[in-house]
Amino acid sequence: MNDAVVIGAGVAGLTAATRIAEAGGRVLVVAKGIGATHLAPGTIDVLGRVDGEPVERPLEALGRLGAGHPYARLPAGTLAAAAEWWRGRFADGPLAPYAYTGTVETSLPLPSPVGAVRRSALVPETMAAGDLRRGEPLCIVGLRPLRDFHAPYAADNLARQGYEARAKVLDLAPEPRPDVNSLGYARAFDDAAFRDRVVAELRGRLAPGESAGFPAVLGLRRPHAAWDDLERRLARRVFEIPTLPPSVPGMRVFATLRERLRRAGARVILNAIVTGAERTGDRVTGVRVKVAAREVVHRGDWIVLATGGFASGGLELDSTWVAREVALGLPVHGVPGRGEARFAPGYLDEQPMARAGIQVDDGLRPLGPDGARAAENVLVAGALLAGAEPWREGSGDGISLGTGFHAGGIVVGARSEAADMGNTSGSIEAIERSGARGAGA
Amino acid sequence: MTPLSCEVLVIGGGATGAGVAWDCALRGFDTVLVERRDLAEGTSGRFHGLLHSGARYAVKDVAAAEECIGENMVLREIAADSIEDSGGLFVTTPEDDPAYGDALVAGCGRVGIPIEEIPVAEALRREPRLNPGIQRAFAVPDAGIDAWKCVGALARGAQGHGARILRYHRVTGILRDGDRVVGAEVRDELRGEDVRIEAGFTLNASGAWAAQIAHMAGVEGVGVVPGKGIMIAMNHRLVNTVINRCTMPADGDILVPIRTVSVIGTTDVHMADPDDLPIPQDEVDQMLDDGERLVPGFRRARALRVWAGVRPLFSDAKEEVESRDVSRGHALLDHRTRDGIDGLLTITGGKWTTYRLMAEETVDAMCAQLGEERPCTTRTAKLPGSEDGSLYHLGARLKWKEGHLNDEQLVCECEIIPRGRLEDELRSRGTTNLDDIRRALRLGMGPCQGGFCIYRATGILHAVGRLSGPEANASLLGFLQERWKGVWPILYGDQLRQARLDDWIFQGVLGVQDLPGAHDPPPGRVAAGPQDADAHGEPGDEAARAKGAPSAAPGSADDEPTAAWDGVSS
Repeated sequence: MNDAVVIGAGVAGLTAATRIAEAGGRVLVVAKGIGATHLAPGTIDVLGRVDGEPVERPLEALGRLGAGHPYARLPAGTLAAAAEWWRGRFADGPLAPYAYTGTVETSLPLPSPVGAVRRSALVPETMAAGDLRRGEPLCIVGLRPLRDFHAPYAADNLARQGYEARAKVLDLAPEPRPDVNSLGYARAFDDAAFRDRVVAELRGRLAPGESAGFPAVLGLRRPHAAWDDLERRLARRVFEIPTLPPSVPGMRVFATLRERLRRAGARVILNAIVTGAERTGDRVTGVRVKVAAREVVHRGDWIVLATGGFASGGLELDSTWVAREVALGLPVHGVPGRGEARFAPGYLDEQPMARAGIQVDDGLRPLGPDGARAAENVLVAGALLAGAEPWREGSGDGISLGTGFHAGGIVVGARSEAADMGNTSGSIEAIERSGARGAGA
Repeated sequence: MTPLSCEVLVIGGGATGAGVAWDCALRGFDTVLVERRDLAEGTSGRFHGLLHSGARYAVKDVAAAEECIGENMVLREIAADSIEDSGGLFVTTPEDDPAYGDALVAGCGRVGIPIEEIPVAEALRREPRLNPGIQRAFAVPDAGIDAWKCVGALARGAQGHGARILRYHRVTGILRDGDRVVGAEVRDELRGEDVRIEAGFTLNASGAWAAQIAHMAGVEGVGVVPGKGIMIAMNHRLVNTVINRCTMPADGDILVPIRTVSVIGTTDVHMADPDDLPIPQDEVDQMLDDGERLVPGFRRARALRVWAGVRPLFSDAKEEVESRDVSRGHALLDHRTRDGIDGLLTITGGKWTTYRLMAEETVDAMCAQLGEERPCTTRTAKLPGSEDGSLYHLGARLKWKEGHLNDEQLVCECEIIPRGRLEDELRSRGTTNLDDIRRALRLGMGPCQGGFCIYRATGILHAVGRLSGPEANASLLGFLQERWKGVWPILYGDQLRQARLDDWIFQGVLGVQDLPGAHDPPPGRVAAGPQDADAHGEPGDEAARAKGAPSAAPGSADDEPTAAWDGVSS
């Protein structure tokens, strides 16, 4: 019996699972595959925009989001605590000293791959020097075989917004191929010999005091070492700018949390498709999971559902415009009805369908159309939640971290309550197990 | 106002107009073609891709059927590179009257269309996704024709014979000298200039817009009914043969495999304005239901994109008629006899398949008015790219890529577009409009609808096209909007998932909503032009590379690497 079965291996699911497992809970993560982390830029964006206006102090602006927004479900202080927890996972994680920096109180304005300004709360240390408030001249360094990052275009847009920026493009590849993607470069940057070539190419071509902005490919296994090495040898600030997917900073997130789960004794099963739930009364007692052709029921005291929205396949809409939550069949909220507009003709306009998802109460329990809890022991976290438009509002991964952390906290709290009452031997065993592991680690 | 003069002015850059220009140029006329947008951006590019065998009309409209089969055979010879010999089937679904099949066979026999009834089991073997409940099946020589490729080849061919092809030149007025039309005033939309074109003869080949042009010449009463049809492209080839419903022509009666997709079509709704073509939900649902009838499970397949085209249906009848009963045949209006106006002919109506015949008749009529003896040669003159007569093969790009795995970067994986090909197109077309590039190369037409290639192409455009940031941003945002336009009415299933992933990329990673100029009015067509020299253009800079070095990649005929790309064999 698991204390929690977590469905989904994006930021929300991994956060909830890690929090529970590191508190001694017995956790199983099942996921259809690697997903969201490898697509997103690897930054935690709490809130970049409200009503079309840029937000510099996200916590102060949360109140403007309305009661239906997932952030409104979080108790005061949750985001700050989640941020501290997140930084802590990296501080002594498998990629340490690779670290996250920043706070949820103030966002960092960082350049995007088109040279637009993205506002992020927590960022890898390797991105922090891109903070446009510094006002330093920037040289954006491109790599010609990397088609997913165009330095001159980004620099041009930055310059147009008043930042001093220019570009250099290096025709440098780890192997003689016309296409090298971000992962290929990340592996190359782990290698000191490749960094030698980069440094040699740039020597004498950067102006004094100019920061160097690279695509976010500076190492996968030892990103801190690669970044630090470039900073020292180029004798200037170096920073990463996200690329098109696959996202190397996102892979570092996945690698870190997955390794922490492993160390905490949690199991992670990928290529696992949840095909349904077993229920007893108002509780989901188990989830049916199909791996290859075999279907197994995994039982848990808690089910954390973090499968993502339409983009990740947690939600589906069929051709008759009926939406469904694919894993447990929970009611989907906020789908425009027949005859109502589902999408707007302007690409950048607000899209009515975008806020569809699972509505939850303050305990993250899913709600039915009547407003009553649809299940007592299911917690919903991340992009599956109704009421947000993460990409438009710049809250990507902020919602996932906040709600994943909160979901993990609910399970941890319930377990310790139960342990205090001394009535769940399984949990006590789990605590003992985790103690034994801690001593051995 | 820039002056220009020519012997023949062709108005309209669709299949008919381009066909007329090619025909005129081959007959030695000094020809100018004006098109208000890009070539084949009106009706010609907004169809399902069917090269008719004529069987569709064999029962109801013998003349149309005869024209179709005749032209089908001609085009296979002269425009081979644009044609995929997919073949066609007429299938009797469980809801259809099996007796129609007999009428079809008889009709085809009268017209000379090869038709063969094949066992249902054989039809299902050829097309396993077909409705297993079909009662009868007939094989006919339908085929697929690539509109952009063919119209592009016509234009290139005409240019090769001295014609001037002016895209983005909108007619604003027709020049009259007494009872004679002597040319047109046009607006160069890219440069923002007016151009006065003096022409010995003017050929109005503007299709559904023919009445508007005629009106500018002072000619009234040209009866062109814009008949709107919507089509939906489904991801992948659900079928590899053109599938027709074996009934009288009706809505949703055809599924055409063309390039990497299959297109279900179509509806027929009279419109007042050929430029206002909404896509209502009920028409989308109707197409999906019709698709389901031909291929069970159709609604669970992935719909990629929907669009609407507008047929020019010619009718002299004043009373309201059902659009499908209006003649599919074409109409050549001699304004000398009809209206007492010299120097102007209007060609409209007709079908894609018969564009060449329409052009031939039009230029013949012009020659007759001019008293010139210049015979038509388009029946045998092969279009550029079709010289060796080999028909287009769907796997051409993949075959090219397999042979050049490590030679070139791919910008668009869905449609296998190498970077060099994109760069060459940007240079030779002198366009910064990614939608023009789409028509030329199929950029962004695959399953991700530009999710990955739009940013890449914009970055390359910025470097190679020497675009400034604002122009590049306008191109990117304009193309995003263009892609969205054909996607949002059919967003469900996997394509919704794809669209949300694309939002993730464009809004979550790139932050295009915060680009300078993102919320300006919708970007118009942007002209390419020489840009200021790059201030830091030292070797190694992308800009310097683009400016100085000739393309490493190909486009020219003697450059081996992409010579066979997309089946272009020249």
